[in-house]
Amino acid sequence: MVTRRNFLLGASAAGVALSAAKVSSVAMAALPQIVSMETPDTQPPLMPENGRPYNPVVTLNGWTLPWRMNNGVKEFHLVAEPVVREMAPGMKAHLWGYNGQSPGPTIEVVEGDRVRIFVTNRLPEHTSIHWHGQRLPNGMDGVTGLTQAGINPGKTFVYEFEAKRPGTFMYHPHADEMTQMAMGMMGFWVTHPKNPKFMAVDRDFVFLLNSFDIDPGSYTPKITTMLDFNLWAFNSRVAPGISPMVAGQGDRVRIRVGNLTMTNHPMHLHGHEFVVVGTDGGWTPPNSRWPEVTADIAVGQMRAFEFIADEPGDWAFHCHKSHHTMNAMGHDVPTMIGVDQSKLVDRITSLIPDYMSMGESGMADMETMEMPLPDNTLPMMSGQGQFGGIGMGGMFTTVKIREGLARNDYKDPGAYQHPVGTVAYEMNSELPPVQRQTATLSGDEIEFKARKPVSHGEH
Amino acid sequence: MTIPMASSLVSIPRVLVTLFFISVTLNGCASFSKDGGLGAVQKTTKDFISKDIQWVKSLEDQDSVQSRTEELLKKPLTVNDAVQIALFNNKGLQAAFYDLGISEADLVQTGKLPNPRFAMLHTKNNGDYKIEQSFTFNIFSLLTMPKALQIEKRLFEQTQRQTAMEVLRLANETRKAYFKAVAADQSTHYMQQVRTAAEASAELARNMVKAGNWRKLDQAREQGFYADAALGVARAERNKITAYEELTRLMGLWGKQTQFTLPERLPDLPLTVDESNNIEQTAMDQRLDLQSLRLQTEALANQLGLTKATRFINVLEVGPARVLEGKRSDPYKKGFEITFEIPIFDWGTARVARAEAIYMQAINILAETAVNARSEVRQSYKLYRSNYDIAKHYRDEIVPIRKRISAENQLRYNGMLISAFELLVNAQLQVSTVNSYIEALRDFWLSQSDLEMALIGKPLFSSGTGSPMRDNQMSMSH
Repeated sequence: MVTRRNFLLGASAAGVALSAAKVSSVAMAALPQIVSMETPDTQPPLMPENGRPYNPVVTLNGWTLPWRMNNGVKEFHLVAEPVVREMAPGMKAHLWGYNGQSPGPTIEVVEGDRVRIFVTNRLPEHTSIHWHGQRLPNGMDGVTGLTQAGINPGKTFVYEFEAKRPGTFMYHPHADEMTQMAMGMMGFWVTHPKNPKFMAVDRDFVFLLNSFDIDPGSYTPKITTMLDFNLWAFNSRVAPGISPMVAGQGDRVRIRVGNLTMTNHPMHLHGHEFVVVGTDGGWTPPNSRWPEVTADIAVGQMRAFEFIADEPGDWAFHCHKSHHTMNAMGHDVPTMIGVDQSKLVDRITSLIPDYMSMGESGMADMETMEMPLPDNTLPMMSGQGQFGGIGMGGMFTTVKIREGLARNDYKDPGAYQHPVGTVAYEMNSELPPVQRQTATLSGDEIEFKARKPVSHGEH
Repeated sequence: MTIPMASSLVSIPRVLVTLFFISVTLNGCASFSKDGGLGAVQKTTKDFISKDIQWVKSLEDQDSVQSRTEELLKKPLTVNDAVQIALFNNKGLQAAFYDLGISEADLVQTGKLPNPRFAMLHTKNNGDYKIEQSFTFNIFSLLTMPKALQIEKRLFEQTQRQTAMEVLRLANETRKAYFKAVAADQSTHYMQQVRTAAEASAELARNMVKAGNWRKLDQAREQGFYADAALGVARAERNKITAYEELTRLMGLWGKQTQFTLPERLPDLPLTVDESNNIEQTAMDQRLDLQSLRLQTEALANQLGLTKATRFINVLEVGPARVLEGKRSDPYKKGFEITFEIPIFDWGTARVARAEAIYMQAINILAETAVNARSEVRQSYKLYRSNYDIAKHYRDEIVPIRKRISAENQLRYNGMLISAFELLVNAQLQVSTVNSYIEALRDFWLSQSDLEMALIGKPLFSSGTGSPMRDNQMSMSH
């Protein structure tokens, strides 16, 4: 965890590296320290120790960037650089990000804060940052060519504006953005309301939806892919690598999601209803909110959901596009359901010794089969729960609700212990005989009455 | 022209004794050898191939060859066994051995004096007789015999070289046929594996349609791959028939003996290649065709010398003669007779010119053969080296890469990233690559044989040609 204390002392805490650039300390004095994160684990919220008070958020598999106050201005230092991001245990991606990770750290400020952001470019090409959704002077909007010159490799630019509107935002490059966003350059931004009591919640999770096309066996995303991505991620992380969202029973929980993929994502929560309390434009008036269990988040949009976590358990939270809850798979693989391969296997294994037939009874085999895969590849579906294989990848995680959790306890509480008699169980008795409804019209009659195709000679 | 000479009297018996004596002395120089000249051939060929040769002349010879052949045929043949069998059984080689017999007979013949000639003229007219009797001997052959023997001896040696050449050529052709047959066997085996994969694909496709998962179009495509693969097997089997029969012919086998077995694999690529030090000089020194031509040229040089020496005299005969002229009761006039041609019209110029032309022709053929031999040996060495490199490249690079691709594809199949069909197509490609390696290995062994041949005679280049297998492979990389 990064605290303001070790940030200011320049100490190197676990998972945090302070890097000194090859610039004299005199020249560096004008710039805030560069803080970098080495782990993809979810970091606890960063409590504000100076500036205006606010209720900090928790970035799923991410962290919040520390700042320094300089004559009343909040100063942050973002470094755009190549990073190695673990997308789930067993797979690392060569991405571009900020301060050691992709996505970059979450920036949290309070409505009315004067914010100064130093952006250093350590990428091989020029970049810029667009502060998505902010009201700011046009020259701070970060569109290369249009509102500013590109930040060339090795250069540092300074953005400075007032965080006027409270709400949910994000940042990403607006220079060669197709490449830079496909490579994972993005981050979350939260502007908290001046009044910490305004719409206060107990737990406030944030993450971005992003997608990558990384060929199994390779490490770098294919940047020209437009729609056929094979890794659908929360904060550049895929199941089973995404942290659970832990909540105490009865907590008011907010989940803020921004969509930086190229398709929409219907986000679905089990066991609870939620309301959309915020969009890109700000907070939604309470009387216009309606309850949902799935909310579609379109491309480039942000949504904030809220619900009362009153049902204890391990509740699934995922994108409802079923391919988005899978990791890399072959989209040209034919359906093998019901295809008898029994007589073929011997013949095929004489040529291909490691061959085994798959898919004959569906793809659930994949959940448990532990066969060797290409390097740096996650199984298409995996994850183990207390009852067996979960068979999920991609945009899938859980909301874990437990009674009596401490306010700042975000530790994974493990598998839910179900009260006796509250788990679906197997019926151990004879099946009743099948009774079929008699059809009013039999299949044969339909066939008989159907007009068969005839010769086109008379045309 | 016959000139009866009536002067000095010659005793016929004395002349005959003298002639007989001379002729016996000379005949001692050329008689039939015990082995018919095969010993020298065996000695020459043993240096190159360390194999026995046998001139099958008797039933015992036939039995011995038969039993040694049967012995060799009991187990899968090595290349050396195949060569040995060919040397024992190839009838063409046996026919070549009789060239030795013919040539030696010529040699012995040349060493024999021509028989004395008895001539008689008998006419009568009203009781008048004319009887001429002469007993002549071609003394000129006494002068020419040493020269002629030398020529025939050269020619006999030349025949021995040529016979040795036949032995080595047969050995070489057998080696090449052997490698082709083993490779054809292996290729057939691999093509069958390709067919197995295609067959599995086709059957899987049929099951896909049966389960309702696939269109008939997809099934037809897979069926098409299978049909192609079956064609590939048929072609490979056809090649195998040709290769086996060629080997069978060279080994001179028929009947039950044609059921020989070959090993499953070609010999491995040697660890190192032979270096080319002085390869041209070696060829110059040991090529039998050059030696044979050199002997022929020497024989022609002798011939030319002989022709020049005898340009004026074609025949010179001497012998006793007696003539009776007049009444039958008259006494015979005795004398001797010498016959020769007087070169008035034919000064032998044309014969000398012809002999010279033949000699110069031979000289140029020898020179051409020498120049070609140097080129052939360089070519065969370079082909040998490049075929080695190609086979090694297949073995160390292409086949391992193919295997690695297969392994990676297996991993991709495990992850359901590709289908069983892609895995099977890939297996076919891997098999085809291994098959191409086999062909490259075969080409190496063929070119090694060519190189060996180039060092002892004119090679028939046979390696490095395109093969039907590769065409199949092309059609399969869909």
